[in-house]
Amino acid sequence: MADATVPHRPLGTTGLTVSALGLGGYHLGSADSQTQAAEIVARAMDAGVNFFDNAWEYHDGKAEAWLGAALKGMRDRAVVMTKVCTHGRGKDVAMRMLEESLRRLRTDHVDVWQVHEVIYESDPDLIFAPNGVAEALTLAKSQGKARCVGFTGHKDPSIHLRVLAHDFPFDTVQMPLNCLDATFRSFETQVLPEAARRGVAVLGMKSMGGSGEIVKHGAATPAEALRYAMSLPVATTISGVESPDRLAQNLAVARGFTPMSPDEMQALRERCRPLAADGRAELFKTTKLYDAAIGRAQHHFPPPEELPL
Amino acid sequence: MATAIPTRPFGRHADVRVSALGFGGHHLGDAADEATAVRLVREAIDAGVTFFDNCWEYHRGKSEIWMGKALEGRRDEVFLMTKACTHGREARLGLEMLEQSLRRLRTDHLDLWQIHGVCFENDPALFIRPNGAAEALRKAKDDGKVRFVGFTGHKDPAIHLAMLDTGFPFDAVQMPLNPFDASFKSFERQVLPALAARGIAALGMKPFVGKGEAVQAGTLSAEEALRYAMSLPVATTITGIDKPEVLAQNVGIAQGLAPMSDAEMDALRARCRADAADGRFELYKLSLKYDNPEARTAHGFPIDRQQAEVKELLTATENTGHPFPPSDG
Repeated sequence: MADATVPHRPLGTTGLTVSALGLGGYHLGSADSQTQAAEIVARAMDAGVNFFDNAWEYHDGKAEAWLGAALKGMRDRAVVMTKVCTHGRGKDVAMRMLEESLRRLRTDHVDVWQVHEVIYESDPDLIFAPNGVAEALTLAKSQGKARCVGFTGHKDPSIHLRVLAHDFPFDTVQMPLNCLDATFRSFETQVLPEAARRGVAVLGMKSMGGSGEIVKHGAATPAEALRYAMSLPVATTISGVESPDRLAQNLAVARGFTPMSPDEMQALRERCRPLAADGRAELFKTTKLYDAAIGRAQHHFPPPEELPL
Repeated sequence: MATAIPTRPFGRHADVRVSALGFGGHHLGDAADEATAVRLVREAIDAGVTFFDNCWEYHRGKSEIWMGKALEGRRDEVFLMTKACTHGREARLGLEMLEQSLRRLRTDHLDLWQIHGVCFENDPALFIRPNGAAEALRKAKDDGKVRFVGFTGHKDPAIHLAMLDTGFPFDAVQMPLNPFDASFKSFERQVLPALAARGIAALGMKPFVGKGEAVQAGTLSAEEALRYAMSLPVATTITGIDKPEVLAQNVGIAQGLAPMSDAEMDALRARCRADAADGRFELYKLSLKYDNPEARTAHGFPIDRQQAEVKELLTATENTGHPFPPSDG
């Protein structure tokens, strides 16, 4: 199916449609060079990928700058998402970050703007505090600088549910979704139904377990892991790509994508259950390894290197 | 003149009352020697403690053996609990552990028998499956070897709720309860109300928040921590006792306990909230490193023998990492 393109799906009720495979921005900033990053973006677009992920803090801005350069002349065909890294801080910090992101991305608006790394138990209260980042989301939308708004986090479904319970008009919510997740602190079983009930579009991530753990432990092939994640009721599955080879691997699944049957999905969940049940292969949920130092500092937590985790 | 330690009803079995302070069995095995352990238990009974906690695997049986000796002649004065360490394995193993526990504790029955260390996401399914540990709890009760049954775990309120969702008729449920818990993956907020609705006795543990780091850091005093835990709607608060001065401290707080007001409890929660929100003071909820190596082995999860905590545990308990059968106690 080398000629088939990546299917598109509605982004919830926003009126946008996005490719079922999204290109992860962090890994784009890990490409060998800006030229290689541009090549990855161009090839992805040729295959039908139009959803591009990023964050204000990825590689200190390099990931946004490289994506902005790569999209030159193609911005209108892309759905560009970036994230605001307030880590508990308020509206003013967020709006400054938005201006920087827009400059780096060479655009006057982002299609989706999300609150990054909502992972601490205090975050729901901080987001919705007076002058908190939720007010920035509303403001950016009213100014036309962000078409859609959302939030993301990799830690715990209960934190996502507490944020959703505020009834804020989120357009999107991003979360880890993979064939282990259904067995351990599951976003799939707890957050997906709630997002669906609220009409919030879901963006999946960490389809391979964060750093390929699902594949390294032999629980599933890369193709199985990606197919599983893309077969869930999500708008897109964001997958990090730092090389043309990795892009080709993902496109082999995503071109002319056919979802797994419910039976196939259940069989894969069962196969992964022994690896999944203690969380050792989903380290973003169970350790500090995926938590940004800047985020800990902004929450007045001691730095990660002082933690016994 | 010290006043008595209050007693509380044991869940829906309101005719049964237990002391609001419970004597933790793991630390008993850390006492200087057997004579000290025996003295600690008997002095605690004299002071009005009736709830005694233990577990089949604590110190490879030493905790149960020492407590059994201390309770000789005084068994009828106490409410005795121990735990089975099936860790997902089958009912038969649980019943073998029960016989061993009864021998070590020198008694023909327990007042409460609990499933120990319910910490993994697949534990509820393993518990309730055919031949799972649920059948051991039922049989032990039918045989008159245990009056009441329950489970305990320190990891995640969601796992406790999934255990309740199995529909098994538990009499008691044990969990970490302290002012930090209220702001981080909270058993207090999520599990306590579910227990109250079902008439299940709540047993609190870890009142000093793990190994007491928050008390050492000065965030709160030992008295504040224990009073907070004992002021929650629980039957008892279990806390480890390994030295006479620890017994004296805890008994002193518990005797004539004046529960905290709602406002005092709110203020203490608020004081701890900022430190609680990333869980670094409640590592038993977070880190794989705090998983019991025995439980991990029984589940088929790998253990890292080079990890400092695992080495410590393996040495401290002469634990081979292969949980059963050990030499009989």
